Amino acid sequence: MGKTYEIPVGAQHISLLEPLHFKFTTENERIIKADANVYYVHRGIEQACCSKFKFRQVSFVVGRVCGLCSISHTTAYSQVAEKLLKIEIPKRAKYLRMLVIELDRIHSHLLCLSHVAENSGFEALFMKTMQYREFSMELLEGICGNRIQYDYSIVGGVSRDLKPEVADWTLKRLKEFMPQLDELLDIYQNNWTLSLKNKGAGAIDKETALRLNVVGPFARAAGLAVDVRNETEDLLPWKEAGFEMVLEKTGDVYARNLVRLRELYVSIKIIQNVINGLPEGALVTETKAFPDGEAVVRLEAPRGELFYYAKGNKTQVLERLKIKAPTFSNVAGMVEAFNNNEYGSAPAIIASYDPCLSCTAR
Amino acid sequence: MKSFFNAIANLFKKPVTTQYPFQPTYKPDDYRGLIGFNEDLCIWCRRCEAVCPPGAIVFSQDMEGKQTYHYNRAVCIYCGECVRSCPKEGAIFQTAEPAPCALKAENINNGWNKLFPEAIQSREAFAAEKKRKAAEAAKAKAETETKQQ
Ligand code: SF4
Ligand code: SF4
Repeated sequence: MGKTYEIPVGAQHISLLEPLHFKFTTENERIIKADANVYYVHRGIEQACCSKFKFRQVSFVVGRVCGLCSISHTTAYSQVAEKLLKIEIPKRAKYLRMLVIELDRIHSHLLCLSHVAENSGFEALFMKTMQYREFSMELLEGICGNRIQYDYSIVGGVSRDLKPEVADWTLKRLKEFMPQLDELLDIYQNNWTLSLKNKGAGAIDKETALRLNVVGPFARAAGLAVDVRNETEDLLPWKEAGFEMVLEKTGDVYARNLVRLRELYVSIKIIQNVINGLPEGALVTETKAFPDGEAVVRLEAPRGELFYYAKGNKTQVLERLKIKAPTFSNVAGMVEAFNNNEYGSAPAIIASYDPCLSCTAR
Repeated sequence: MKSFFNAIANLFKKPVTTQYPFQPTYKPDDYRGLIGFNEDLCIWCRRCEAVCPPGAIVFSQDMEGKQTYHYNRAVCIYCGECVRSCPKEGAIFQTAEPAPCALKAENINNGWNKLFPEAIQSREAFAAEKKRKAAEAAKAKAETETKQQ
């Protein structure tokens, strides 16, 4: 037993993208224990949603919970509110929601991948990934009218229609992106320098992942087949749009990179299917009802399962809203996966979790 | 070795970034920009004020009952809810114009925080005045009726 050192990282740190605090106990550069403290950015959004805002306005408030998966939050809230109102939304609106969620997944996964590359010390790949990511931001801006806060889902449907020329342009840009994605997959898979930092780092096995209730690409990289898109069909018809499960086995940073990259192919396929088979119809189901009763909704955000619970009491203001973000479920697994790794790989491992602490702390 | 040649080749490529602000960046035609208002078409139903999530629209009212529209572009989140809720097409509309930065002289935050409650108060004052006048008129009417009997 050598001498142990405690190394604090965060809450503000140069290699951390998020306000979280890790305390590593190390022995000879090897992490033997890690602690995490995540609640640094509590904003009281749930309370505001149940007091200050009317239930139709809440979908714009929860869009501001997270910048990266804004559309997942708005859609999940809209779905839970629709359950409370007991309305069914038009099929076209469902398809358009899927379209924007998948585009959002493309940009979120590429952002995460670029940060893994950067934190592994591969700055050039960071820039390359960011360069290739830009097309998805432009598409989102073209479809939703804004780069980041899409405000696309509203209670009852979606706020804007997809114009035919934008749809054609989207398909064209996706086709241009395909060879770039192949190139990225090749680099992340075969680059020798990157593999030194990523292979075997931050590994978690399937049983541990299941025991710690890990979700999203983090779980799928360990071979655990959890994806809400695979489980629910009632709210959004994922399988009809061509969803396929992507799994890896090793559960390390390398596997997480590959899961994210291979999921992009699935996302692209879904977007193409949605645009080619877009049903005609209205965008919004109008209703004058007020939310009543309780409901839960689960939705696959880029980082994993997003959970919404809402309770209404036949007034304009909700009685309770509960948001459980994917990173919250992953915290236990994150702490576990550090064990027995070099301290030097910690930045890459943190980035590969794709943590979103603003969502977690709300 | 391949990456070495790639690195050399990259030296002669054009940069992929846009030289903003000297070059314009991509902006769609239906960008969600500033909210415009047409006083002639508005029917003063105040629905846009009621739905606006951050409270970027408020109507004040003078003692004659004339309403004035106030809008704060720094509070607005450009969601377009006001446009969707408006019963009169064209009274309120969304332009593709990005919001300009606020200047210190505009006093956009403190001025708005002061204006908002004042506007609500002015409406309450008008409503109270209307109620008082109505009550007076009713009283006068009742008096004339009793006199006639
Ligand atoms: S666009 Fe949205 S935030 Fe802006 S004034 Fe209209 S309703 Fe309010
Ligand atoms: S909703 Fe339209 S008509 Fe009503 S007050 Fe607003 S702008 Fe005027």
